[in-house]
This record gives sequence, structure tokens and C-alpha cells, in this order.
Amino acid sequence: MRETAAMQSQKSKSWLNIGKDFNTMTWVLIPVAIAINIAIGQIVVLLKLPVFLDSIGTVLVAAVCGPWAGALTGALTNIIWGVTVDPNALPWWPVAFFIGLVAGLCANAGLFKSWWKVVVTGFLVALTAATISTPIAVYLFGGITASGSSFITAYLLQTGQGVLQAVFSTSFLVEPVDKITTAMLAFAIVQGLSRRFVARFPRPENVEPEGGTNQTQLYIAVGVVVLLVLFAAFMLRNVLGG
Amino acid sequence: MYLIIQPMHERLSFYVKRDSPLHHLNPLTKLTLVLGLVLISFLSPWYWTPHILLVIAIFPLSLVGRVGREFLRTFLRLILPAASFLFFMQAFFQPIGDQVIFKLWFLDITQESLLFAFRNAMRIIVMVSSFTLFLLTTHPSELMSDLTRRGLPPQFAYVIISTLQILPQMQAKAQTIIAAQRSRGLDTQSSFLRRAGSLFPLIGPLVFGSLVEVEERAIAIEARGFTSTRVKTSLYEIPDTNLDTALRWTFIALVIITIVLKLWLS
Repeated sequence: MRETAAMQSQKSKSWLNIGKDFNTMTWVLIPVAIAINIAIGQIVVLLKLPVFLDSIGTVLVAAVCGPWAGALTGALTNIIWGVTVDPNALPWWPVAFFIGLVAGLCANAGLFKSWWKVVVTGFLVALTAATISTPIAVYLFGGITASGSSFITAYLLQTGQGVLQAVFSTSFLVEPVDKITTAMLAFAIVQGLSRRFVARFPRPENVEPEGGTNQTQLYIAVGVVVLLVLFAAFMLRNVLGG
Repeated sequence: MYLIIQPMHERLSFYVKRDSPLHHLNPLTKLTLVLGLVLISFLSPWYWTPHILLVIAIFPLSLVGRVGREFLRTFLRLILPAASFLFFMQAFFQPIGDQVIFKLWFLDITQESLLFAFRNAMRIIVMVSSFTLFLLTTHPSELMSDLTRRGLPPQFAYVIISTLQILPQMQAKAQTIIAAQRSRGLDTQSSFLRRAGSLFPLIGPLVFGSLVEVEERAIAIEARGFTSTRVKTSLYEIPDTNLDTALRWTFIALVIITIVLKLWLS
């Protein structure tokens, strides 16, 4: 009786415990993941690679702690990055929020267990990022942002395309490479951690690698990837042609 | 051509300890002021609002807070470069307007794109410089304990404060790893494939090294009652005067007036 009362009070007080996703390990991992996001983002800039890779920590948290923890990590990354390092990162926090959310949902659906599933996760995350960032780029910046990929947007605008289409096609060209790499790196990191360590997070079952390569699975995988590529080509042609 | 990440110890501990009216205000009051300035500069129906706010509100406030020199230094080194980059990108590439002022190859700057870029850059400047002013006069833990007292979950406060502490450490660690791997012959400057290949030797040690600490830290803070749901007492009392309350309502009223004017005039 006493126990149930205590449990009830805990439930009503800590409204953040969405499905027990926020245990102490989660709260401790989030700041580390934010710092990983920012530090790797800066290393990538120094190596002059044409990707951002600034959401590896976010995807990591999303995979082992669930979508809401990932979303929180993403949003806080951009807010802290914006006020302390680079002001241009600040308006993009909703994009980072949805990257974490979608990566977490994919992981919950079992799409973080083998490399080809992770590619699918990366692709879905990229699609989300492109969709969410387009209205921000268009309505806040008029299409041209401080990012290097705006050169492509500018070129597309010069060819006479609408702002919305130009921005979306640019994101659609840039994001998949970036987000699939991000998801693959996060997957490699998780697989490099010890099982005992991962088991302390709320959702260790999300990242449990599948034993053995199943023949049918492989066929499905190839099919999915081909479909995604066809879908991408179709979208791109539609957007570019329209 | 050395690969060096700038250490940001100075940047992350923005706070300057001084004795000024701005320092004595309640953190929430200052946060309301900052958000109010940002919202007004973005929502105001008049073109010149962000420019005027910068001159009549933000610069004088930096003098009131007695952080004028530090503010100016951050402004020139951090805010102005970022805003000018955005300004030039937009002035060149924004495809609006017909009145061409200046033509370069296939790019033309029109009067409209120039005005558009100028206002956008000013809005960003207002946003970032008011946040800078806030961080210069408010200690992060002061803000967090005040917000926790008002009902923010303490875990949020932990995440923010902890990130601000871990980030400089992580950047120092990244610098050490880059130096160590370069001394072992890691190629970080030649062809694209080699630079891409050197990514994993750099981020691997960084990520695994920092994840190892996570478990220890979790045990440590759990032992100190992190998950306890009881009300925690604070060592510091943060003053919240009637003046603070009045100022907060004034800022909120100003934002509402701006929104009404925007809706009414458009």
C-alpha cells in the first residue's frame, strides 16, 4: 500500500520519465553526447570534409535511450552551440530535435541492429532533416543561409526555380550523405562499447546486433535500398523538373 | 598549417564578476529581457527596429552592466564576423528585386537584397549580442538554481551546467588526440580520401574515452541523491525583488504590443 502511494507520487512528480527512458545514465550521457556533437563537428571542419557530422552524439543517445532523450540532446546541442560557439547554429534547433526523435523512433522499430538497417535509419533521418530545415531556411533566411551548401541553392535560384524547391533540392542532395555517415558512425561506436555498459541504458535491446546474416533479410534489405534510391531519384527529378 | 582547435576556456566562462545593477537583477528578469529583445527585433513591423534596439538598448545596457569592454571584444571577434558572413551570402545570392546596384559575373546585388540582408544580419546581431550580455552578467549556476526553484526539473539544470563544464575538457582532449595521432604520422591535410580516412582514428579515442566516464559519474551523482524527489535546499539565496517582477511584466507587455502592432499593421 505504502509502496503504491510512493510510486504514484513519483509518477505524478517526474513527468519527464517517459516510459522510463530518462534514468540517471541517460541524464549523464546527454551532456557528454552534446559535447561529442560539438567536438566532432569542429574536427570535421578542421579536416575540411564536405559533411557536418554534428549529430553523432544525438543519434547515439536516441539509439540507447529512446526518441525523447535524443530529441532533447539535439535541441540542447544547437542551443548551447548557438550561444557559446557559433551563433548561426541557434535557429536550427528544431531540425536537431527531429533528428533525435526520428533516429529514436527508428531504433525503437528495430532499425539500429545491422548495418543496412542503419543505412535506412540514416536515410529517414536525412529526409526529416531536409523537410524540417526547408521552412526555417526559407522563412528566416529567405533561402540563403550561412552554410556552404547555399552555393547550390543560389545556383538553382539563378536557373529560375522557386525558393522552396531550390532549398529542398539542396538539402535533399546534401543531407543523405551526411546523415547516413552519421548513423553508421554512431552504430560503429555502439558496437564498440561493451555489452555490460550498454545494458545500463534504458533501451539496450535497440542496439543488440542480430546474430548471423539471414538470406531473406538480405534480399529485403537490397530491395529496400533499391526502392529508396528509386524514390530519391523520382523525388529529385520531380523537384528539379517542376 | 597546423591543425589546432582553439581552446575555448575563456569563451565558455563568459561570466565577469562585477558589482553592477545588471548583475543584481534576478536571472529570470534578465532572461525575459533577452527574449523580449529577440522577439521584438524579429516581430516588429518596422524595418529599423533591430538597428535601433542595438544602439539604444544593448550597447547602453553593456555599460550599465559595467562589462562594456568585454562585450565589445566578443562583439568584434565573434558576433560581427558571423553576421557579416551571413550578410554577404544573402546580399549576393538573394534573388529578389530588380534595381541592380552592383554586378559581378552572374551575381547581382539589388537594392532589395541588400536591405533584406542588412536587416537579417542585424536581427542575428541583436539576438546573439543580447544573449552575450546575459551570459556576461549572469553566472550559469545562478540562473539554473533560480529556475530550479521556480519548478524547472533539476535534471535540466544538471544537463546545462554539466555540458558547459565538459565541453572545454572535451575540446582539450580532442586537441591532445589530434596532436598524438599526427605525431604517429596520421595524415590530416592531403587528399580527400586520406582526410576522410583519418576521421575514425580521431573520433574513436575521443568518444570511447569520454563514454567510459559516464558510468562512474552516474554512480557518483546517484550516491548524492540525484534521483531523490524531495525538495532540495539551496546554499545560495537568489534575490527576487518587486522591481524584478515589475520589469518582467513590462517586457512581456512590450512584446505583446509589438505582436499586436505587427498584426494590426499588416
